[in-house]
Formats: sequence, C-alpha cells, structure tokens
Amino acid sequence: MEEADRKILNALQREFPLAIEPFRVLAARAGTDEDDFLERVRSLKEQGIIRRIGAVFDGAGAGFASTLCAAKISIERLEQFTEVVNSYRGVTHNYLRDHEYNVWFTFIGSTREAIEESLSDISKQTGVTDIVSMPVKRRFKVDTRFNL
Amino acid sequence: MENHKRDEDLDNGIDMVVMTDEERKVARQVQGDIPLEKRPFEVIARRIGMKEDGVVSILKRLQEKGVIRRFGAVLRHTKAGFSENAMVVWAVPEERCEEIGSRLASYNEISHCYERTPPFEGVYNLFTMVHLVGDSGGAGKPDRMDTFIQSISQAIGIGEYRILRTLKELKKSSMEYF
Repeated sequence: MEEADRKILNALQREFPLAIEPFRVLAARAGTDEDDFLERVRSLKEQGIIRRIGAVFDGAGAGFASTLCAAKISIERLEQFTEVVNSYRGVTHNYLRDHEYNVWFTFIGSTREAIEESLSDISKQTGVTDIVSMPVKRRFKVDTRFNL
Repeated sequence: MENHKRDEDLDNGIDMVVMTDEERKVARQVQGDIPLEKRPFEVIARRIGMKEDGVVSILKRLQEKGVIRRFGAVLRHTKAGFSENAMVVWAVPEERCEEIGSRLASYNEISHCYERTPPFEGVYNLFTMVHLVGDSGGAGKPDRMDTFIQSISQAIGIGEYRILRTLKELKKSSMEYF
C-alpha cells in the first residue's frame, strides 16, 4: 500500500472532523489538495479497503441489548443454518471458526428478552437447540480502528 | 422473510433512549455511508429537509451523548493487510478479571476485550479479538498467532486459553439501528 493511502486511512479512522468540509480539513492537515484527497478516498472505497465512512454507533449507548452466540453445526447443515441466522437484521457478524462450536454470531436486539425470543425462533426453524448465548458482563475495550 | 415482528422489536429499542425525531432522522443517514462529496452533510441535509449546520451540530451532540462512538472510516481489515484474525478466550479467576482485562485491552493488536457470562465451556470468561498483519511466515516457521498469544499468556500469567481462528466470514454488516 502506498504511504499516502496509509496516511489517509489512518486519518479517516482517527480524526474525521464533523465540519462542513471535512475532506478539505483532512487534506489541509495532510498537506495535499482536496480534490486529490477525495479521489484517493473514493478509490480506497472502490477497492473495498474502506467498508464505509459514517457513524459507528454504540449499541448500548443507543439503548440496545446484544450478545455473542455460538453453535455446533455439521458441515451438511451449515448452509441452511447460516441462511436462517443471517436473515435476522440483528445479526451483524457471523464467523466460521476452528472449534467444535464452529459458528459464532453477534445478535443485537431491543432487549435481552427479544434476543432470546429470536434465538428460540432460530432453534425452531433449524432444529439446532444448543445455541450458547454469552452477553457482555464488562467491557474493557472496543476499538475497531486499524493502525496502518 | 418474516422479519416484521423483529423489526418492530428493534424499532422499539430506540424509544428507550431519549432521542428527538430530528436526531433519529440524522442518525438514519449516517449509519451507512455518507456521500463522498466535498460537502457530505449538505447532501444529507437536503435529503431530509434540514440545514447543513443543523446536521453537523446534531452529529456532534450524538457523539457527546455517546450514541455515536466514533465517526469516520470503517475498514475491511483483511483487505488492509490484517489477514491473521482470531478470537482468543481466556480463563481468568474472577478476582483477576479487572487487572487482566485492562492489560489485554492495552495491546494494539487486540480490538475487543470483554468479560462475558456465562463463560464459554464453563471457564473462558474473557474474550478478545486479535488481528495480525499477514506476513507469509512460510512453511516450517512457527505460527505467528500462536507465538503472539503465547507471549501474551506469559506476560499476563494466564495459561488457560483457546485460540479460535476465523475460517470464514459468513456475515458482516453494519447494524441499522434507526
């Protein structure tokens, strides 16, 4: 990755200004021209390195409940289970991992009870009854900025 | 897809937090992508019939309230070079949780650190997400994730842990809260 892109990605993650012309501010800080800066940002977006630029909400701060779930799913049933789980709007992350409990997904809902209800819904639809739900007890760190 | 009821549940969620209609309108515009234009908030303001500086000040307020955790770019970290990713779970005695949690949180390579309950498999109560920049270690070389986690394990004095590597991303989306 080019040094200029690296710097842009770090700045976009760490110091995006809530201002009328945010890219002009960032370009000035980087000592470059606003048009060039924006062009590089668009290109990084097109390449898929930038997923999105916007607000990262704090689920708990916005009043939502969430949990991390794990399930043991055989290879034959993986596709069907994944399809059902992923159809829920509250499921934002779902990963296959190398463990007996191989499917791990996060679930966000209005309340814990709403999440539990959805999970038992999933069990009914898929026949998978052993879904472990492990909500957060204490948060030590959430920092999804990657230093490049 | 019968998502109707679930969507209703989610919409109700936000009622528990005091947010004005205007705040909600603005929040809805920035939970995905802002336009990559010189004046992105002007474009957004026009869409929802508000003033540009009004949109900017609402965003600042939401950030102050802690509803917005941060504003800026969200990367596809695997595409940015972080190809070694794992969830590592640690079995930590309750009385050491505060100390160990804080120490794990101080590593740059760790993006998330939570205590969860019930513990996974009855013992693993601290959960961390670990990301390493891919660097072809080559055949026969020690696994970089293993080596890194071993060094943390020694540093914090917690020997009971499990590394659950990410084999495949099955879903990754941004929550539509509003």
